[in-house]
Amino acid sequence: MRPFTYIRPATPQEAVGAFAEAGEGARFIAGGTTLYDLMKLTIERPAHLIDVTAVRGLDRIEMDGDRLRFGANAAMSAVAGDPTIGRDYPVLSEALWKAASQQLRNMATVGGNLLQRTRCMYFRNGGGGIYPCNKREPGSGCAAIGGLDRGQAVLGTSEACTAVSPGDWPVALVAMDASIEVLGPAGSRSLPVGDLYRLPGDTPHLEFTLGPGEMITAITVPKTPAGRLSTYHKIRDRESYAFALTSAAVALEMSGDRVEGARIALGGVATRPWRASEAEEVLIGHLLTPELALAAGQAAFRDARPGRHNSFKTELGARTITDALIIAAGRGRT
Amino acid sequence: MSTTAFPNRARVDALAKVRGEAKFAADLVLPRTLYAMTVPATIAKGSLSSLPVEAALRVPGVVRVLTPEDFPAPPPYSEDGPPPPPTLETIIAYRGQPVALVIAETLEAAIEGAEVIRPTYVAEAFACVMESAGAQRQPADEVAFGDAPAALSGAAATVESTYDSPTQHHNPLELIATVAVWEDGALLIHESTQASSLVKGAVAGALRLDPARVHVRGATMGGSFGQKAVQRQTALVARAAILTGRPVKLVQPRAQIFHTATYRARTRHQIRIGADADGKIVGVQHHVEQEQSPNGYFAVSEYHRDVIRMYGIRNYLGTGADIRLDRQDSGYMRGTHPQPAFFAFESAIDELAHKTNRDPVEFRLANDTRVDPQNGHPLSSRFLNECLREGARRFGWSRRSPVPGSMTASDGSLVGWGMACGIYQSATTPAIATLRIDARGHTRFAISGHEMGQGMRTAIASVLIQDLDIDPERLEIALGDTRAAPQHMTAGSWGTNSVVPAAMQAAQRMRAAVADLLDGRQVSGNLHRKLASIRRPFLQVEVTTVGPGQDQAALETLRQGGFAVAEAVYPEFSTFSYSAHFLEVRIEPRTRRIRVPRVVSIADCGRVISPRTAHSQVYGGVIWGLSHALREATEIDPRYGGYLNEDLADYVVPVNADIGEIEIGLIDQPDPLANPAGVKGLGQVSMVGISAAVANAVFHATGRRIRELPIRIEHLL
Repeated sequence: MRPFTYIRPATPQEAVGAFAEAGEGARFIAGGTTLYDLMKLTIERPAHLIDVTAVRGLDRIEMDGDRLRFGANAAMSAVAGDPTIGRDYPVLSEALWKAASQQLRNMATVGGNLLQRTRCMYFRNGGGGIYPCNKREPGSGCAAIGGLDRGQAVLGTSEACTAVSPGDWPVALVAMDASIEVLGPAGSRSLPVGDLYRLPGDTPHLEFTLGPGEMITAITVPKTPAGRLSTYHKIRDRESYAFALTSAAVALEMSGDRVEGARIALGGVATRPWRASEAEEVLIGHLLTPELALAAGQAAFRDARPGRHNSFKTELGARTITDALIIAAGRGRT
Repeated sequence: MSTTAFPNRARVDALAKVRGEAKFAADLVLPRTLYAMTVPATIAKGSLSSLPVEAALRVPGVVRVLTPEDFPAPPPYSEDGPPPPPTLETIIAYRGQPVALVIAETLEAAIEGAEVIRPTYVAEAFACVMESAGAQRQPADEVAFGDAPAALSGAAATVESTYDSPTQHHNPLELIATVAVWEDGALLIHESTQASSLVKGAVAGALRLDPARVHVRGATMGGSFGQKAVQRQTALVARAAILTGRPVKLVQPRAQIFHTATYRARTRHQIRIGADADGKIVGVQHHVEQEQSPNGYFAVSEYHRDVIRMYGIRNYLGTGADIRLDRQDSGYMRGTHPQPAFFAFESAIDELAHKTNRDPVEFRLANDTRVDPQNGHPLSSRFLNECLREGARRFGWSRRSPVPGSMTASDGSLVGWGMACGIYQSATTPAIATLRIDARGHTRFAISGHEMGQGMRTAIASVLIQDLDIDPERLEIALGDTRAAPQHMTAGSWGTNSVVPAAMQAAQRMRAAVADLLDGRQVSGNLHRKLASIRRPFLQVEVTTVGPGQDQAALETLRQGGFAVAEAVYPEFSTFSYSAHFLEVRIEPRTRRIRVPRVVSIADCGRVISPRTAHSQVYGGVIWGLSHALREATEIDPRYGGYLNEDLADYVVPVNADIGEIEIGLIDQPDPLANPAGVKGLGQVSMVGISAAVANAVFHATGRRIRELPIRIEHLL
């Protein structure tokens, strides 16, 4: 636990300016549900914290026009509890409800959630001095490979890192083709949520594509009728308050029992929120049966590279997709 | 022996706890307190080669850094019992061992100071799990009677299997906290502990202090379960208080507790069991191996003690071994030895019942015993079959379709109904109690014992309020305080049944003393009013009690702060508590999540003194049993030693949403021999057997026998 400075700017411009001024070792902080943890674990050692929770107007939930727009500071619980989102986009609502606990959802923001760091035990635990980790200390190696890797990723891994991207919300957003709005020293830009995340490759310590001092200001989701036939199905080691072993965000466009459009993204199994286009292709144009749903699930894991203790994730992941598809399609029949 | 049932009183400390008024050790803030933080070793075995402290001393607020040089040499070997935990040493025996203690004006400074200390080490090869090269296998004493191999060779049916139970850590919500105060040449230690006298002895021994100058005050506890006995940290904090002359406080972070506190040893049980053509068990061979620290005293033979008495088994061969590893000591954890042993044994019973086409309840009922199978002595009370029949009735067991996989729910889930039994010895400790009633309305009862949330204080209050006309609002029950009464460790389900008889005897003696004092005079009002009327400021009585077969020597051991347990195989009879658990699992057809929507658990713990807290004990035991079966395992990467999942996010325990309906029943029949109150232990037996009931239900649902815990989704895909 090292001393740090702390300020609370009132506008996005001030926040970005403060970051640039602080220089090395600056971090934005919102709900603090990840960053404070990582500071206690000595993984994050910021010298300056720029608290963006006092930035005005950044917590709005807007539904005018052709996109849903969530201010980055909106609490997870606020979006999760929004009745329109719950009705028209259950995949978004469920992804939030099934994450963390009510207390954490009250604190954590939907913008900060996108930047949550991995829960890989070798990354977080051991007080920083025990387990080699290429994320924590580039070039030191990866203890998870060849180790206790039950929780590790089977998709998108590299020789340097198999850490799972931990979020639920980003998975749902990737399925729904969402984008983020970003403000930085060079002005504002927007990018698809999927493009926020890097594959580990040789540089697993580089996780996000945000530039220095860039801050997420909003998340936008294109409106679609597929939102109604959607779900976020999450399988974990207990009923709540746990990260996914496998999860699937699914949204469908159906014509009767025939699949016209399918969006599938996976959590708990990959190094970034994982769009499973192979699985989507299996479904398009066909009648949705349990058998076809399973075939789609299996297609998603065709390129899986399991380790020593996590090979079950390919089978469980395929079955999770199967159940998610059946749940989502079932929402059209009520 | 109590002939009538006790009323259902509220927990005496419930209001204080829910209002946040109860003070735990970590809540204590004394003037001028200094804060401590330990520096854990980063190697699993070897020695310190340097311990530079300058960087820590430069951190603003850091007052001092204690290193091995600040401590006396360990006391010489004594045969009186286990030595006190080591203090700070240059030899590293396990990863996470404390090597330095940073003392600072604030917690933040202490943490920062601890973080900047970078010791260097000479590392050595180590072995940290059963499979590690270099693990030392050390055979244990046999426990045998009859001729099990011969009996099994003649059995009509036998089964033989190996069952694995993982390393587990207690993880009570409350962290381990110590506050030490050095004043006028005496040490006062406030600690969350279930063994204040042992803490006193250990600190005095480690620091070479006169025990008469060391006092320990057990604070309100936020769960213990065997973890909060004697901690390595206590003497460190005490030494810091002596060296700085100020109160010193250490609340150990959870990740460190994983590495320093005791834990449930990983065990492997090989069981061979056979029955004759009539379904009578003819013999059992049980070989158990446990992971053990290099000098750990945690006896392997105790895995047999309770198994032997579960049924009428005439031939038993119990063998075992310690696997010596470079780890900290394992220790007691709720249900301790029977917990893993009964996952194995009651799974094996289920396998044998299945193989012989017998209903598992009927099979058990038919193997009842009235005598202790090892020595032929009577069992003082045994209502196991009553537990079985009552549980089966409440659960609706007769509606079970016996074929595995034959029951499904409307949503397609596989349904499994499983059951298993538990047993735990009902041991006793001596007690020395003082009861004082004064004319101003106050009553104080002081005795050996620790309130860990199990309800000991409520049980004592139940007795005193029932037997004495006193003001219940002003009844103080002093527990866990070495200044108030000689203290014995509270553990092993011997708490309530050791203190309640003393409370009853004290009440009886008090009534007699009052009668003597009044000498036939009619004085109105409660006891306080009576004393006031006759102008007696107070009346005090002292009583002593011992367990069956114990004498004055046990009381003397208690006075010395020693270990004076009368194990439940008493000289003339044996006393055990029993439980029978019935539960339903539902398993999702595709993703194979296992849920437990309902449990019925019936226990025979003799006379129930405090129904409210007794029920709570069983709820807790059942839930932890489910956790043992389906959730908890401490992960050790053999390449690094230590424990990988060192926090509550990664060490998976159940959440409320995991727990379904739990129905509790207590037989509430007094034991006629064990003690005058008729009480037997309850805490442990309520948990023993649950994990086997889960595994048996999973088998019934799926036809798949899972012999390793925890049972997870991947076992059933």
